[in-house]
Amino acid sequence: MRRRILAMAMAVTMISSLAACGSSSGGAESAAPAQETKAETTAAKAEEKKEAATEAAAPQAEGGEKSIEGLTIAFVPKLTGNAFFESANKGAQEYAKKWGITVNYTGSPNAAVADEVQVVNQAAASGADGICLSSVDATGLDDALKSAMDAGVTVGTWDSDVSTDARTIMVSQGTPEILGKMLVDMGADELTKRGKDISKDAIKYCWHYSNATVTDQNSWQVAGEKYIKETYPNWENVAPDNYYSEQDAEKAVSIGASVLQAHSDVDLIICNDSTALPGQAKAAQNAGLTKNDVSITGFASPQSMKEYAEADILEEWGLWDCGLQGAMGCYLTAYVAAGNEVHVGDKINIPEIGEVELLANDSIAEGATTGDVNNGVVLLPERLVFTKENVNDYDF
Amino acid sequence: MKALKRFTKAREAGSIIFLVLLVLLVGALNPAFLAPASLLSCLNDSVVFTLLAVGIAFVILTGEIDVSIGATMGMSAAVAATILRDGGSWMTAFVMAIIVGAVVGLINGWGVSIMRIPSLIFTLGVNGLTRGMIYVYTTGAWVENLPGSFTKLANVKLIGHLTVFYAVTFTGVLAANYVTNHTKHGRYFTAVGDNISGAALVGIPTTGTKITAYVLCGIFAALAGMAYTSRIGFVTPTAGNGYEMKAIAACVLGGVALTGGQGTLLGAAIGAIIMSSISRILVFMGFSSDYDNTLTGIMLIVIVVVTTVMQNREIIRNHHEILLARTSEELKTVQEGA
Amino acid sequence: MNRSLAEKSKAFFKSWEFVLLVILCLEIVVFATKNPKFLKPAVLLGSLNDIISICIISLFVTFCMITGGIDIQAGSIVGLTSIIIGVSWQDFGFNIWTAVILSVLIAAVCGALSGYFVAYCDVQPMVVTLGGSFLYAGIALLISNLSATASYKGISGFPDSFKFISKYRFGDVLPLQVVIFLVLTVIAHILLKKTKYGRMIFLVGINKNAAEYSGINSKLVMMSAYILSAISASIAGIILTSYLGTAKSDLGATFTLQIITACVLGGTLSTGGKGSAIGTGLAAVVIGVLKFGLPLSFGVNQQYMDIPVGALLLIVVICRSLATNPKVVALTHKTQKAAIKKGSVKESLKAL
Repeated sequence: MRRRILAMAMAVTMISSLAACGSSSGGAESAAPAQETKAETTAAKAEEKKEAATEAAAPQAEGGEKSIEGLTIAFVPKLTGNAFFESANKGAQEYAKKWGITVNYTGSPNAAVADEVQVVNQAAASGADGICLSSVDATGLDDALKSAMDAGVTVGTWDSDVSTDARTIMVSQGTPEILGKMLVDMGADELTKRGKDISKDAIKYCWHYSNATVTDQNSWQVAGEKYIKETYPNWENVAPDNYYSEQDAEKAVSIGASVLQAHSDVDLIICNDSTALPGQAKAAQNAGLTKNDVSITGFASPQSMKEYAEADILEEWGLWDCGLQGAMGCYLTAYVAAGNEVHVGDKINIPEIGEVELLANDSIAEGATTGDVNNGVVLLPERLVFTKENVNDYDF
Repeated sequence: MKALKRFTKAREAGSIIFLVLLVLLVGALNPAFLAPASLLSCLNDSVVFTLLAVGIAFVILTGEIDVSIGATMGMSAAVAATILRDGGSWMTAFVMAIIVGAVVGLINGWGVSIMRIPSLIFTLGVNGLTRGMIYVYTTGAWVENLPGSFTKLANVKLIGHLTVFYAVTFTGVLAANYVTNHTKHGRYFTAVGDNISGAALVGIPTTGTKITAYVLCGIFAALAGMAYTSRIGFVTPTAGNGYEMKAIAACVLGGVALTGGQGTLLGAAIGAIIMSSISRILVFMGFSSDYDNTLTGIMLIVIVVVTTVMQNREIIRNHHEILLARTSEELKTVQEGA
Repeated sequence: MNRSLAEKSKAFFKSWEFVLLVILCLEIVVFATKNPKFLKPAVLLGSLNDIISICIISLFVTFCMITGGIDIQAGSIVGLTSIIIGVSWQDFGFNIWTAVILSVLIAAVCGALSGYFVAYCDVQPMVVTLGGSFLYAGIALLISNLSATASYKGISGFPDSFKFISKYRFGDVLPLQVVIFLVLTVIAHILLKKTKYGRMIFLVGINKNAAEYSGINSKLVMMSAYILSAISASIAGIILTSYLGTAKSDLGATFTLQIITACVLGGTLSTGGKGSAIGTGLAAVVIGVLKFGLPLSFGVNQQYMDIPVGALLLIVVICRSLATNPKVVALTHKTQKAAIKKGSVKESLKAL
């Protein structure tokens, strides 16, 4: 008897805990005013969709561009709680308000394929019109995305791509070659500025990033390494196996310190990871080194490196406007979701941002084919290089 | 001589010998590792793990476990960092972080010792809640741009290359080690872990001891969070993710038995040095970081298996001795009776 | 006969599995009323696809926990299995099924190694398997370096026959992998409750020495539990590799805590001697449905999902402790301190 009462009691607590969960999410959002209240969204979604459908139908008769207003896009990062993706979300939310679309930022705190597949399936089942994601794995999400597309959900990607037939439009920050070269060029520039002759001196360098299994960082490293071999054969990589800090800030500092001590003559450390770069800079600062002793560069958001730039620990580092990129990804996904057709070579006018051109897939991946319609790549206008002079111009 | 004998009997002796051998081995392969600055960096870099390992050691000594320590550390770090970023004083940040740690510890202690819920289960639940709360509290964003005056603290040197942080931490550990080994109340932790029923029978407040252990664990996690914040200069919502397992591993490496009642806080601190030095050792040995996990795993298993097997032999030998002593006594009484 | 049936059903209504079933039904009702889409069989059953690995592994980690141990290396074995399949198939040119069998064998050896240390060297299971989780994840990464495909790329392009495992749906609704999970649950249940082996597992967990005296090879039984859980992890790894269509060394790295959560929510005692496969299976599904339904029906962001799972676990264990633990019951009934003391003395005497 007691057990049954217990079961009942538990049932009650379960319901209340569910309710509490609902309200706790509300609390979280009130803390982040940029996000719209999701509870409302879900409630109003059915109506919205109907409206969207009628709206989409109306302009079709006129033969003009179909409006994206009222659509819901699930915006999926590789992982949450990472400065890069949080900034991207901030940007996407700002633009989404202006465009009248709903951007639901949802992702797992772990950068794991299985977790991201779960997020994608959820987003597809929740009735989103489109999914715009940065993929953890180059192929691991293909099946989930394809079945989402079969269910009528438009899929777009940004930052990190999947197979070209598993998505419509990709907003790319550039090919691995462009980004690898950019990393090396920033390093070369720093070295030159402190009086090294990059084409003659035996420059000692190494790479420090998250780990051997993440896709994009490794592809930049491979491309950058190739570029160094071709352009600066006099450079020497002191750690051809690279150093990894697994996006663990504590480890980034420890590894950073070890690298500086084990290779006291290292000239350049390239940190193509947004946790490794501040960690490496912190380690250099702890060791009392400045940009005149060792050159450090890499990719990280401007705000996260501001204090080190101002303390003259590093000269320059780069990234791209991830907020803009996220927003563009959401817009283009919504654009296709609204029923618009685009072909390679078409120009798309993104309100508040400007005109972009749809390129063929092989512009970022060699030998990739492009579908006849609604398939291709948009290159983000520019990549940015930050220094202590311009860092305050950016707020991400 | 006596001191030497006592040293070799101590549980942490194995860990210290192992650490020395490891340092010598790496030093032989790359003499740069033996430079004072490099060796002291091993200590300085271990400050976060030392605090975590010592904190969790209190709980493990009482025979329980705490898998929420990483999340507690992350939460304290996030709270402290937010206060500092928004211009609060160090004191406020420090006190708030400690309060967060103590509260989580108190909840754990309540669940485990009063509600009698197995500690693994309860702290697992608390871990989920706390980790989730970090995301709610920070809205998933990094807490960055902390005042330089605070982030520089971690790098203030006492003598030579030794940071004040580590010196203070290590002194604290030594003091705590003394208290837990040589004072009546301090020994409660091991007593409870060794034999809880026996401890209760001799009048040790077992419930109170366990709660104290958890609160201390939470406070140490908070201290680790403060050290982390100062060392790193920014706090991510994932801060401390997986550190609970590393802290447990550090304890084990330092000779603290997970069954409770055996080991010292000093041992845990030494285990933490070994644990946090692995990635540095790999850098100096010229290994790729790819070997990081493999090496950690092998070291952990080898050390644990070797020490356990040796201890079991010891226990069996002691058993024999006791048996022998008893039987001889019995023989004596029998003979006397005759 | 009739009476025994009545008794059986009575026992069922008293059981922990029944409570879990009630929770599961409640979840489904709450989520479905909020968002009717949730009830679509394709959605509901499809949601199981994403958690199938955790469901399968937790079934057999339960075995380890019943023997009084724990297995936190299973997550790493998932990745190890995946990369062994990928590398041996793509780079060594093995037939895909040979690769699968090889991966299961290697996983079994990994489980046996840890199990050996636990059972024969008397080392703390948590530490051994913690070491194992580092070791096998590390080996997986090293194996991925053997491949011509860089470890960050993931090995893909598996034949359709391999993808069949995760793609086939009975009647276009019921995924094959869910059926595999159900079959494994039944197997685990029969193993535990209907065979001599199961009784040995329980006996070892309740009292290892007593089991030894009664002629059970308790060490072998303990080791076998770790082998079984490693094999289940490799089965999960095979299914996950097929489901994702890519072999990577870091698959499953995030599973550990979820597996343990499923086991303990399923009523397995972490100190050993108690647990059931059906309970664990149900608990895994309860957690999975909660994690799927909250974002779907209430729009909760995935990143906060640790909170409801943690809360569920805490509420359940606290309620159970309030209802069943005599000491806690005494406390809640505000019995005087003396009574507690008496109880504790009595208990300690009993323990002695």
